[in-house]
Amino acid sequence: MRELLDRRVLLVTGKGGVGKTTVATSLALEAARRGQRVLLVETAGSNQVPGLFGHGPASYEAQRVAEDLYTLSVTPEKAIEDYIVQQIKVRALFKMVFRNRVMGPFVDGVPGLHDLVQLGKVFDLERETSFGRNIWDLIVVDAPATGHGLTMLDAPRSMMELTVAGPFHENAKLVHELFVDGDKTALILVALPEEMPVNETLDLYERLGAYRPQVRACVLNELHPAPFTALDRWDEARAALSRPELSEALACTDRAVLRARRQEQARRRLSQLPCPLLELPFLYDRRLGERQLGRLGRTLGAS
Amino acid sequence: MSTRVLVCCGSGGVGKTTTSAALALALARAGKSVAVLTIDPARRLADSLGLDELGNEPQQVPMDRLGQGSGRLDAAMLDMKATWDGLVSRFSDNDLDRDRILANRYYRFASTRLAGSHEYMAMERLYELVESGRYEFVLLDTPPTRHAIEFLKAPARIAGLFDEGVMHWLSLPRDSRGFRALERGSEAVVKVLKRLIGQGTISEIAEFFDAMKGLWDTLRERGKAVEALLASEDTRFLLVTTPAPAARAEAREFRRLLEQQGMPLGGFLVNRVVPAPESEAAPGPELFPAPPPGFDEREWTEICEGVARAPELQARLATSEQDSLRELAGEGVQTWHIPELDNDVHSLEGLAEIASYLQPAVEALTR
Repeated sequence: MRELLDRRVLLVTGKGGVGKTTVATSLALEAARRGQRVLLVETAGSNQVPGLFGHGPASYEAQRVAEDLYTLSVTPEKAIEDYIVQQIKVRALFKMVFRNRVMGPFVDGVPGLHDLVQLGKVFDLERETSFGRNIWDLIVVDAPATGHGLTMLDAPRSMMELTVAGPFHENAKLVHELFVDGDKTALILVALPEEMPVNETLDLYERLGAYRPQVRACVLNELHPAPFTALDRWDEARAALSRPELSEALACTDRAVLRARRQEQARRRLSQLPCPLLELPFLYDRRLGERQLGRLGRTLGAS
Repeated sequence: MSTRVLVCCGSGGVGKTTTSAALALALARAGKSVAVLTIDPARRLADSLGLDELGNEPQQVPMDRLGQGSGRLDAAMLDMKATWDGLVSRFSDNDLDRDRILANRYYRFASTRLAGSHEYMAMERLYELVESGRYEFVLLDTPPTRHAIEFLKAPARIAGLFDEGVMHWLSLPRDSRGFRALERGSEAVVKVLKRLIGQGTISEIAEFFDAMKGLWDTLRERGKAVEALLASEDTRFLLVTTPAPAARAEAREFRRLLEQQGMPLGGFLVNRVVPAPESEAAPGPELFPAPPPGFDEREWTEICEGVARAPELQARLATSEQDSLRELAGEGVQTWHIPELDNDVHSLEGLAEIASYLQPAVEALTR
């Protein structure tokens, strides 16, 4: 964990609905608890984090949600503006050139631009300093769902290929270099203990290509406790317990055993990945707040 | 034949592909002729449809294996590039333009990597299937998005690319220096663009739009037709979701955005619902026999305790899910549940089992 939190940027990615936001927030809280000044970045206009801490929606500026923990929500539209203005220096020129009826849709359609500018924003945040010191010790990015998350990591290279030279090319190269630098950036994959999500996680890992070495952890989320250890002896035990008064309990146990076996299989398959496998429990009361997230963070921190 | 369209939306990992296929199968078994268009599924979907592979062209699912039922089910998998190429080949003014487009570097980028391209082509393919007039129902399994609704916005973004203004502007005639006409029009714009992405890239983009000239009316018309189809009485949007609490916020947002865009919501399909046990009382210790041969005392006690606890744990899980389901139902939208199954679906028979839970949905949707 120490090793993970020592980096500059953690990108949390995985399929939709696997709990990326929960994992990203728990990790960010844990890093903050350990004394780092942490920025949690939501992407693609997602804006769930402040609500978890009982705050109103985040804006494009960092907002404090807990001790040493700040959050902001990146929208592609705003990031595009930032990105281009950085290159052409004059905001009024940006509005004139890019936000008119003709160019607006065109700019929005440039391959990978949406993704690139969001990574570009993270890149800028990483370099922000005050009195010669980095403002943020750690930036945790709640990346878009895979498929999209992959496109996002591909975006700098796509832009480099599309524009063979020029400032866009140069900038994309810098951004690319930050995210392939294993000392600075780590990727964290989040998975659920079910067959399809596990397949997709392994598939995602394969497709990460050059980014594969950056995968430093895989989090298996929403694990239920196994009913007992000797799962492989359940059929035998069940036969010995077969009586009408127990039928309901046996049916429930069947379900729990199946779930536990699925989890075991998920564990086994994900442990093929050359990175630590971290585990988080299923929460019955999932009205998540700072307390629960802090507890999840400590669970992650202890592994 | 008038064709009804069902668009299955949902974030990834909720079982959207399987649920869409099961709903299609349920409709076909109710006697309808149905096509399901799926997007980038795991190879297993072909297996569970009893097909060797899925391609851009619809293939008939061997439903006779399941016995009764007079309908027909065809399945296809979206091939984004093939659909783009097909569109270009079909509607280009002439072979020269067609070849120029297909060979253009920007086109090759746009047709595979442009954000929203996948969604745009899914809509195009959907429209082609409806246009064929061969089906009473066409189901579209949408690409997974973080928010189900992103799917609906993406095509508009691509369609915006072919907006008349952009097209005219980018495809103005060029002289030997490449861009004079363009430069006269908006010198500042071109200077900035050139600096940012380089002259070479601009030329390629301009070349692409120039070659697309003959296509753009068609693309715009088709875009409008798809939009009209999606907003029509024949279309229903379905949200595939799970009982997880996060689903509620998503469902609410989905509904709001559909209303905002004037698109008809058909209902929520809730997947993997854990049933509440009939009784959650732990069976008393007197009901458990002594360790049978081969089990030692400690191991046996642990198993028996696990069995005794199981109803309560399942009840807790079911209650936690019922809370979310109640809130979903509170949205005032039709909600259909599919229970959690023992195994993932690997065969047509397995798919038929899910389909059997979708009878109420079939009744509502064929009304």
